[in-house]
Amino acid sequence: MYKKLLMAFAGLLFCSLTLPAQAPTGGVKGTIVSRGDSAPIAGVALTLYQGSVEIAKTVTAEDGTFLISNLADGSYDLDVEATGYLSTKVNLVVVRGAVKNMFNLRVSRLKEEATDEMFEDFDMEDSGYSDNPTILFGQNDVFNNIAGFNFSSVRFRVRGYSSESQDVYLAGVKMNDAITGYSPYSLWSGLNEATRVKHTVNGLEISDYGLGGYNGLTNIPVNAANVRKGLRGSVMTSSALYRLRLMMTYASGPLDNGWSYAINVSTRMGGNDWIKGVFYRSFAYYGAVEKKFNDKHKLGFVFMGAPGTRGAQNASTQEVYNLMNDNMYNSNWGYQNGKVRNSRVRMTHEPITLLRYDFTPTQHFSLGATLLYRFGKNGYTSLDWYDASDPRPDYYRNLPSYFWNDNEDYNRLNKAKALWAQDAWESNISDITHINWDRMYEVNRNNKVDGSNRSKYVVEERRTDQRDLNFALNARWNATRFLTLTGGASLRVNRTEYYKILNDLLGGDYYVDVDQFAEREYASVPTMLQNDLDYFLANGEAKKLRVGDKYGYDYYAQIRKYEGWLNARLSFGNFEAKVGGRVGYDAFWREGLVRKGLFPGLNSVGGQMTYDGVNITTYDYEGQPITSYGKSKVQDFVTYAAKANLNYFVKGGHRIFANIGFFEDAPRFNQTFVSPRTRNTIVPDVSKIKTFTADVNYQYSAGNVNLRVTGFFTKIDDQSKVMSFYDDSQNTFTNFAMSGIDERHMGIELGFKVPTPVDNLSLQGVLSLGEYVYTSNPKMYQTYDNSSAIIEDTWGVTIPYWKSHPKTNGKTQKHYVAGTPQVAASLGLNWNKNYWFVDVDVDYFDKSYLDMNPLYRTDMATAGGDGIVTPAEVDYMASQEKFDPVALVNLSVGKSWFLNRKYQLGFSLNVKNLLNKRDVKTGGYEQTRLVDNTVNKDRYYRFDSKYFYMTGINYMLNVYFRF
Amino acid sequence: MKKILFSLIAVAVATLTACQEWEPVLGNQGTPSSPEPTDLVPNYTIAQLKALYKVLGEPVKIDEDIIIAGQVVSEDRSGNIYRSMFIQDESGAIELKVGKTTLYNDYHPGQWVVVKCSGLTLGNYSGMLQLGFGRNKKANGEESGVDSDGENSDAYETTYIEQQYIIDTHIFKGKKDKPVTPKVLTEADVKANLTYKVDGRTMPQQGPDFGTLVTLKALKYGNQIFCLIYPDPDKAHDGNHRDNRVFLDEKTWNVTTWSLSKQGLIRHLKAGDFDAARLADDTKSVSDPELKALMIKKANGYSVSQYFKLGGTDIQVRTSGYARFADAEIDKDVLSGAATVDVTGILTCYLSSGTYVAQFTLIDEDSVKVNK
Repeated sequence: MYKKLLMAFAGLLFCSLTLPAQAPTGGVKGTIVSRGDSAPIAGVALTLYQGSVEIAKTVTAEDGTFLISNLADGSYDLDVEATGYLSTKVNLVVVRGAVKNMFNLRVSRLKEEATDEMFEDFDMEDSGYSDNPTILFGQNDVFNNIAGFNFSSVRFRVRGYSSESQDVYLAGVKMNDAITGYSPYSLWSGLNEATRVKHTVNGLEISDYGLGGYNGLTNIPVNAANVRKGLRGSVMTSSALYRLRLMMTYASGPLDNGWSYAINVSTRMGGNDWIKGVFYRSFAYYGAVEKKFNDKHKLGFVFMGAPGTRGAQNASTQEVYNLMNDNMYNSNWGYQNGKVRNSRVRMTHEPITLLRYDFTPTQHFSLGATLLYRFGKNGYTSLDWYDASDPRPDYYRNLPSYFWNDNEDYNRLNKAKALWAQDAWESNISDITHINWDRMYEVNRNNKVDGSNRSKYVVEERRTDQRDLNFALNARWNATRFLTLTGGASLRVNRTEYYKILNDLLGGDYYVDVDQFAEREYASVPTMLQNDLDYFLANGEAKKLRVGDKYGYDYYAQIRKYEGWLNARLSFGNFEAKVGGRVGYDAFWREGLVRKGLFPGLNSVGGQMTYDGVNITTYDYEGQPITSYGKSKVQDFVTYAAKANLNYFVKGGHRIFANIGFFEDAPRFNQTFVSPRTRNTIVPDVSKIKTFTADVNYQYSAGNVNLRVTGFFTKIDDQSKVMSFYDDSQNTFTNFAMSGIDERHMGIELGFKVPTPVDNLSLQGVLSLGEYVYTSNPKMYQTYDNSSAIIEDTWGVTIPYWKSHPKTNGKTQKHYVAGTPQVAASLGLNWNKNYWFVDVDVDYFDKSYLDMNPLYRTDMATAGGDGIVTPAEVDYMASQEKFDPVALVNLSVGKSWFLNRKYQLGFSLNVKNLLNKRDVKTGGYEQTRLVDNTVNKDRYYRFDSKYFYMTGINYMLNVYFRF
Repeated sequence: MKKILFSLIAVAVATLTACQEWEPVLGNQGTPSSPEPTDLVPNYTIAQLKALYKVLGEPVKIDEDIIIAGQVVSEDRSGNIYRSMFIQDESGAIELKVGKTTLYNDYHPGQWVVVKCSGLTLGNYSGMLQLGFGRNKKANGEESGVDSDGENSDAYETTYIEQQYIIDTHIFKGKKDKPVTPKVLTEADVKANLTYKVDGRTMPQQGPDFGTLVTLKALKYGNQIFCLIYPDPDKAHDGNHRDNRVFLDEKTWNVTTWSLSKQGLIRHLKAGDFDAARLADDTKSVSDPELKALMIKKANGYSVSQYFKLGGTDIQVRTSGYARFADAEIDKDVLSGAATVDVTGILTCYLSSGTYVAQFTLIDEDSVKVNK
């Protein structure tokens, strides 16, 4: 019996192999039309599959028609991908060598002006690279589609992965930040139309643009021909971020002469209803041309950028929010001359220009090459002050809790002062509850030194200016029907300059380039205070700074990254396997551009630096000179990664698939240098990050039913982190490095969309149940920032309560990876008819945790002043805060009209957080500070944590028109 | 449709011009003008205010509508005066315990300051009257001898005002004026202040020159210092913890600077200058390697009193270890006795073993003039 089956199978196999030898006569044809008005759609990309094997590719003509011929009899799947429309997969059967006529194939418009547009606008935070969608959309995955739109407000991250793990490519070039790894969406925010087309794979899937990691890969082609033809404009107003957005786009589409061009401009302006001081004054531009010389050669050029200024929000403690009776309180702004001014403003303009060449010599082979350059400036302002009081209104010494605490051990015993402070905050005395700009001007104007005013308060601008040159090559070869190879190579040369410039003297005449923290300790040694020792040695005094001058610190992060990768797709009937691997070489170093007085290093001929005949070169614990100026040792790493995807397609729309991957990643620059602002010192045991991950999935997609269930397991090992903070136990500023951080992420995902018995109404939902925990106790390395000396008992010591801590009842409490709810669910109804759509969703989130600082998990902090660790101290100090669970309701409505069959006008309205919940924490951090001046000095207390909250009810209304 | 579009644009333009949220967008805040000096008029002289303090050990909480005015005579720029300032009028001077650092940024020498005293407390510290805030109290009403910095404040009858809203509602900036000219005091003047009597009782607290800006001329070096060091400042170090105190007194201990900064202390410890000093409980010498290592590791800046003689009267020039000139060397000729100094600063009083002595606070390094 089995033998017969086997024989039959083998026979079938043989037939299927030999059949193509005879010229088949079958085919498929039809017209792609829009579901609403039956208008034909040109330029729709069609891909025909048999099982998982790609058989043919074509695009529809001007009148929406298409024809694919030379098809053998059999069952096929036709993938229909039209920009602005929902992707569709149609099953068809070719019989008896006939050309199957599909007539009008209807595709539905994407939920208006695409959900990603609405989404992007809602998801921004104060991280610099903040307008990152945490999940990408439009990728035809039911889970990500729903989760991406609904979960953004609580910063949900798929499987608990960091945003750095999400690979984002532009025209084939990986754009994740060379230093931090952050995904780079802010570089083109406001260019929604130009970047609308995205090719995305999820999770561990292998992409055509690279091996990818474990959290998806998105390539945005940004070429002119991909921007939807025609003139379009939109006006958007929202209450959560900025008041107004205006956008215009024009694209020629492919012209007869082979040229295409496109432009996209926009502006985002104004404040919002919830967070005072947060504002946008942002613009964006995009211009692209592309020339298709013939079927083989295509060349495209793009220039784009998003110059912008925007005010940032700050986190505060719950005490402050309660005093202000407002969880949206923002301590960054204050009144200047009666008008609102924000002290923390991002000012960025980082244009990207790229040249893309596509070469398609045969139907089976294609090759693309991109040369991309990113440059410009990235600034972030902040207040800086010299020998003057801390101007931040919510500084802990300004709060009632500093004067009174019921626990007498704190020594905070002046209730009367606490009541005065409370009264000032509750009455919102603006000189106290906000930054007092007028006072800073007054202080500066009165600090006469030798006839001119030396500013005590200034606005500094911290710059991170990148010069990022990339070259990427990718090729695709359909070797046989069963084997497709994709491969490529990339090269990145990045030089990022970190420095400060003086942005505003606030009424004074000059500021002085000295390190006041060093001055506090080494006031009598003039060289040690110098931020720029060479200037001091040449001029006999520190530099007097004017607006625009560089000061403080100045260094290059130099990054070189080379990578090669190869993927193979093997398909056989209903099986498909993809395997891939990459090898990478990373090298990076620091290059100091100024000589800091604390760490002069050696002079130009390798000798000790001297001043007044005294040696001023300092040495580290290994006896090496501590160097601020010049090149550091080069750190380099060779990394490998491999992954495999296995797919099994079952007739009727079922797919079972599993993925496995192992990755090595080089540590990043910002995880490697102990204090890159001041010196070349490297964290002692940086190593490659190793990630192992696997998942199993079941997917069902037929008619209007979509479903996916996934189980996943990921282990991320040997991560490191570097931070600097004021250590109260040492009464000084310190550098803190930790290495060997291991995480484990596991859980299940479910997404579904099913029709209901009511016409045009469907039910949709997602569920993400995860457990993202730390599985190691990392090692710490702490040094004094002023001297680079090791702090006793902190060098290479394990942080004992990082992954968990014992509770007083003896049980062990795990510690969780923060930054995302580990339980997230959404259930919603979606109604679609006659260009109307209505969406209502209820979301539920739980198991969100506050980001931990390592200091509170050390022996030092748990032991307190007496050096004795007690269970109560451990449980108090090492505990991790879990946020309350929350349920939210969101509503979206949209409609569009056709006017004279030529123009289209439409709107979409999103209302988020309909229940107006204002007590939903979305993130925050623990302060790395200790209350150590307690009465008996035998224990320490934590400082209050700081939080960010979700805004209350907010809307976004977008009105658009197209010609 | 056009109407909808136009009305939307109209709404947008309206919000653009109307709301505060557009102020940072437009960024045209402009330069703030200087605030007007207060028009509050004093109704008490400083001496009248000080006279309200009558009984030692009984701080006076002021409930009446008392307003004083004085010119700023101290400056904390050098760090020698800390969290406090002295104001003086024609009747005398008082220390105002504002409780903020870098007060010189807001209050300039010579500037008039008007104080609404109601709600503040007048108290004694070691012979000096200070205007500050009421003492700390525990929940049970018991007064606390420890303040929020962890320092023992039993000797203080007031606390720092420190809370900005109290400062803003009690201490007002008046008009700017020329810095006060220091009064030159003789030895007799100093003595008269130290022995100042009220109703037959010695009350240097009311001494009219204490807290004022004065010049003392031709001081001779006294070859003696006083300094109290806490080997482990993170542990309790009040008078009950004699195992955590080291006194440097009766000689110079080779300290030739005005004070001991953290680095200065480390230098002296390493040089062995303090080896002969002993813990106050007399159990160990500083030469003990363990003790010395601890003192080096936990070094801080410490105030030093350098003894001088004005005629036959001791003047302790007390300088903070956090003063910028802490490590500045005293002129060699002064140390050797070959030269004298004129000093300008704040004359204060200090109760030492039951006797009031004169203490002197330099404003900065320029307050010292060497007479060669």
